[in-house]
Amino acid sequence: MMNLNKIFPFKRHTLKSFFEFERTPLNLFMFALSFTLVSFLVYGIAVYIEHGHHAYGVTRQHAWGLLIAMYVFFVVSSTGLCIMSSLGHVFNIKAFKIIGKRAIVGAIIAILTGFLVIAFEIGHPVRMVIYNVLTPGLTSAIWWMGTLYGMYLFFIILEFFFLNNANHKFSKMFGLAGLIVGLAAHSNLGAVFGFLVARPIANGVFFPLYFILSAMVTGSYLLFLIYGWRYKMKFPPEVQRFMVVLAQVLGLLLGILIFFEIWRALTSIYGMMPERGDIAIHMLTSKSFIFGEVLLGMLIPFVIIIFSRGRAIKTMVYASITGMVGIFWMRYDLVHDTQLAPMMPLKIREYSLPPGLVEYTPTSIEWMISIGAIGVAFMMYYAADKFFDLDHKSEPEDKIY
Amino acid sequence: MSIVGASVAATALAKTEAASNKAKITDFGLSKTQWSDKLQEIPTLCEMCVNKCAAIARVEDGVLTKLNPNPLFPKSRNMLCARGNAGIQALEDPDRLKYPLIRVGERGEGKFKRVTWDEANEYIKDKMVKIIDEEKDNRSTIGFCAGEGMAEHTYKSFMADKIGSSNFVNHGSICLATTIAGYTLTLGGYGQADLENAEYVIMAGANRAEAIVTPDTMDVFKRTKGRGTKLIVVDPRFTNTASHADKWLPIEVGTDLAFVLALTYVVVSEERYNKRFCSENLSDFEEYKKHIISNNYTPEWAQAITGIKADDIRETARDFMAHAPRAIYYQGRRTAWSLQDYQLRRAQAIFSAMGGGIDKKGGIIFGKKLPLGSHDINSPSYDNAKERIEKSKAASIGTSGSWIAWRNTIIDGTAPYPIRAFFAYKQNPMLSIPNTTKTKQMLEKMELVVVIDTMPSDTVMMADVVLPESLYLEREDPVKSFGGTEPSIALRKPVVEARYDTKPVIEIMRGLGEKLTKPLFEISKKYDESLQEEIEERGEKAVFKEDGYDLAEGYRHSQKTINHHMVSSIYGEEAWKTLREKGVFYPDMDKFFKKISTNEYEYYPEHKKNYSVIQGDLIQEPYHDTCIDIEEIAVLVKKFRTATKKIACALYNFEKRKGVDAMPKWRDELYTPTPVGKFKFITGRHGQFTQSGSANNALLLDLLPENYLWINKRVAEAKGIKFGDNVAVKSKIGEIQIKAYPTEKIGPNVVFFIHGFGAESSELTLAHHRGANDNMIIEDIYETTFGSAAMHETVVELRRV
Amino acid sequence: MARYGMALDYKSCINCKACESACKEENGILLGADKHRIWVGVKDIEGIFPDLSIASSGFEPSQCQQCDNAPCQSVCPTNATYYDDNGVVRVNPDQCILCTYCMEACPYDARYIDDRTMTVDKCNFCSDTRLINGETTTACQATCPTKVRIFGDLDDPDSEISQVLRDRDHHSMKEHLGTKPKLFYLT
Repeated sequence: MMNLNKIFPFKRHTLKSFFEFERTPLNLFMFALSFTLVSFLVYGIAVYIEHGHHAYGVTRQHAWGLLIAMYVFFVVSSTGLCIMSSLGHVFNIKAFKIIGKRAIVGAIIAILTGFLVIAFEIGHPVRMVIYNVLTPGLTSAIWWMGTLYGMYLFFIILEFFFLNNANHKFSKMFGLAGLIVGLAAHSNLGAVFGFLVARPIANGVFFPLYFILSAMVTGSYLLFLIYGWRYKMKFPPEVQRFMVVLAQVLGLLLGILIFFEIWRALTSIYGMMPERGDIAIHMLTSKSFIFGEVLLGMLIPFVIIIFSRGRAIKTMVYASITGMVGIFWMRYDLVHDTQLAPMMPLKIREYSLPPGLVEYTPTSIEWMISIGAIGVAFMMYYAADKFFDLDHKSEPEDKIY
Repeated sequence: MSIVGASVAATALAKTEAASNKAKITDFGLSKTQWSDKLQEIPTLCEMCVNKCAAIARVEDGVLTKLNPNPLFPKSRNMLCARGNAGIQALEDPDRLKYPLIRVGERGEGKFKRVTWDEANEYIKDKMVKIIDEEKDNRSTIGFCAGEGMAEHTYKSFMADKIGSSNFVNHGSICLATTIAGYTLTLGGYGQADLENAEYVIMAGANRAEAIVTPDTMDVFKRTKGRGTKLIVVDPRFTNTASHADKWLPIEVGTDLAFVLALTYVVVSEERYNKRFCSENLSDFEEYKKHIISNNYTPEWAQAITGIKADDIRETARDFMAHAPRAIYYQGRRTAWSLQDYQLRRAQAIFSAMGGGIDKKGGIIFGKKLPLGSHDINSPSYDNAKERIEKSKAASIGTSGSWIAWRNTIIDGTAPYPIRAFFAYKQNPMLSIPNTTKTKQMLEKMELVVVIDTMPSDTVMMADVVLPESLYLEREDPVKSFGGTEPSIALRKPVVEARYDTKPVIEIMRGLGEKLTKPLFEISKKYDESLQEEIEERGEKAVFKEDGYDLAEGYRHSQKTINHHMVSSIYGEEAWKTLREKGVFYPDMDKFFKKISTNEYEYYPEHKKNYSVIQGDLIQEPYHDTCIDIEEIAVLVKKFRTATKKIACALYNFEKRKGVDAMPKWRDELYTPTPVGKFKFITGRHGQFTQSGSANNALLLDLLPENYLWINKRVAEAKGIKFGDNVAVKSKIGEIQIKAYPTEKIGPNVVFFIHGFGAESSELTLAHHRGANDNMIIEDIYETTFGSAAMHETVVELRRV
Repeated sequence: MARYGMALDYKSCINCKACESACKEENGILLGADKHRIWVGVKDIEGIFPDLSIASSGFEPSQCQQCDNAPCQSVCPTNATYYDDNGVVRVNPDQCILCTYCMEACPYDARYIDDRTMTVDKCNFCSDTRLINGETTTACQATCPTKVRIFGDLDDPDSEISQVLRDRDHHSMKEHLGTKPKLFYLT
């Protein structure tokens, strides 16, 4: 034990001390919430083990459902945190230097949660591990994504290991490696959709690019939430400085994202191409897009940042909660809209209606597993906070960068 | 709707087990597989509908895993439809009748106890002896009905000839009796439409794309859409057949006669008929022409009644004659539509004949039929067996009777003597006869109800004794000769062993016969005076033996032995061997049968096909796939056809003796236009269902889970009815609920749903309460010439529920 | 070896669903709404009664197009979807991980999930029930009442399918996607 501590410093706990925390109302609430969410997850998993995919609302025409969206949600969060963290210790932007450990821990937790969710969506996860190695499909974006995310996890774990040891040379090396592999993996995730020849609404260059941008936005929101929770809105000056810079960066990213989305919308509906224009109209007029993606996910935070010139960091923490809800809807819409256009537009039974847009409703089990996974992330974060010192070292007043 | 029947799971399991006998399929490329040594390919004939398509059953280790088409059979043209493929589900159906049953609760309750065959026969004997004794040997007190099947004749001969009852009803009067009669009385025979060569076909009501008839369906739809046949579809509904048509003429329900008369008017007034053919072959043609013209059956007159534009009528008539003699006004099959059906079919036949396409390639042909050796049943005669009870209810009621008139006579008390027992074979009157409520009343009046069937239908639930028949895949049936231009003989062999405690009909009759012979003979001896005289003359033993009073006589041989005799007595042993091995035989088959392409075969070379066969009078129509007894047709012809050798435009004898119009005439009093705000209800078929017989078939229900009500979209919208909404359809005699299918394929004053759903029997797990039963609302109206049902005369109201 | 394709004289189709049932029986496919390898699409008719457009009605039998450039093959992460020696696109149920990427990538809705193996399944031209024994008819072709389908070797210039494709006009589905389907609809 002693030796391990030397190799990999962590805080020692007894079982009692592990579960000890200041019993403020907020902490109690988070405890109750995490516990509830995890019990949902366990129940959902139990039902899935019994019934398999019949417990889900996925169909032949809509094979990817809420779990896929949630997986994307988590891995995007992870990549985002990794990218934002790399702004500090890979690109040496001073204001971001303080977030290294905490952000990477967040990235690790997020990617592990993502893998947890997808494990209950992939029908044969063990087979995947075997045959991805034995008979790899090198033209498959999923193969690349899976392999690269595996490598990514490996790299960021090592990065954290070295950060924890304050070994800056190696942490920077693995940080860079993790960033590069993470960017590659993440754009391949976008390519999973971008390569779909059959789906004009998704096909093309947009998703591989937009995903990176969206990851950075997501990472920014998460950093607001993480640091808001850590300091309970009483921020020391270097953290304040960081958060203002973060808000300003986020403002820029949101601006670019809004610009991307506008042109995506315009090019999708211009000319009303079949399977693209009609889907786009449906998408743009849907509640999840208008209220979720646009209002909660982009506009509200953007407006706050613009009008406060980045200084309203407390408001931003709250706005990040709604921002994350908006991000969730972005992921859900991504998966759902891709599958809206029926590939077979004719009815095959006399007594049926001709297929309209494909419909999908996630079952309660899918919700339980998806939202429950957030509880697991909370618990892992709690454990990480308990075992490791994630705070930055207080340094003397930095020069203005 | 997801239906994973245990039966299919069983089949899937059978497949997997059979598959495991094969070598494992390697991942890349093909591997050689070794079929199980026990792979057999056994020829049989399908029984899922009336067509009897030849199939080859693939049996692996005694398990039937697939039914494939048998290319040797000319009639079915190397195909097997959805129902043919689903025969496996019928075989594996867990709801099948498995052993004899005797009722224990109230009739209709559906409570039965399992018994042995002997016990069942004993029960029947006890009841029958009592009834026949009390009725003083009037054998006709035993009513019996049969559905169409290859074993129908075995059963019918037992009940009609051996038991001696004249009260037989079958589906003829709810199906095709009027068209058979109409064409036979006019042309001398019903014939077959040569759709392989016809250039112009008017298909009115007949929906060959969905009501599959071999080889018509196979032939015509390869040649539509500009590929050789111009198809005119006349139908109140836009059916799948209409989607193949060059022109679809939507017609008011029940007005076809006006349409045909107007077509005739055009052809007569413009003198477009084949003058030479008509002068040589049509009798009373001049009178007919005068009759058409003087009655002013103009296209404008017809337009007002039928809704078809006068210009379309003219064009159709002219086009028809331009393509004649390769032009056919298609005869149709299930023609129990309206009160004027008989005259309609007469008018159709005459119109077709006016083009000259009778007994010619491309027209209506009679073909040839290969003879078979006979298997006669020695029929005893029963003095006291009275005439059938509904004989007076129509102008001419034959031995197949009028189901509706017969049943109604029982329950309205006008029967001259009581019908006290009822036997049913392979028919489901509870679902198939108009006015289900009355059918139930009739069955409730019986003292004995015996039902022979394979599935626990609604009629089975009303039985006292249930006798389970082996499925067609489990038995050998009488060999059959199929006539036409390319005649052949085909055989059904058992494919798998008979399951549970079921028997084929011939064994059922044998068992019943053995039980009934002595006791019923005693009763006849008591009351039958002619028999008493015969016994005095020749002695009881001789009379019993020679005059056929041994009721099991004729059923003791196995069907295989009988078939062997029927075939080899004419064609020899080689033919019998071929038939057993290949399932099909016709002379020179080995020389004539050729494969032309991956899909097509030549059965007879062109010059050997039997297009024109008539020399002189059409003495006996050989091609009879009409389900109507050929003797009955012969009697009809003899009684009412004028004794000429020609096509009869006028039947004066019929008019004189029975008051039936000698020439087709439109009678306003026989037509009811649809009242405003109400709808005419029509019924029909889809290609995935066979009447009510397939109602429990898991595979077919996967294709067609439920029947829906066709209702015009705008009418539905006005009533606030959307797709899938529950609608109550109410007629004078009943009401049902059914889901709605708004469509523009039907007119605003017509509604439709297909027949065969709505079973009440709780023993039919999948069919129970699925969809709606049309005969719950179809009124028991029948036309008065032959007593055939007029199923499209029912007016209904709708409302959303 | 061979390169199998199918030509469909789809104008002859009467929507009787014989092919659908033969396929299910031949290949032991479970019953159920979405579980089908082949289907007959029904075109919704246009017009108002009685002026209905016959031309707009019609039936389109279809199934996996056995593309020569199959999107389902390029997206499979484990190569569970592969081309066999006959050019037939096959799924190896031992390697399929049920990521269902192929179901997303297929432009024709040809794929579904087999509940028993929990892997993706689709039409394989009866490869393991007929082609493997040297029979070169598929169950759907053999059973069809109006003989819509012609199945054969596209690489054999003398085969019936090659001849019919030379003699008659034909088109394939979604040709603009470049999937190079081996199902040809004869006009």
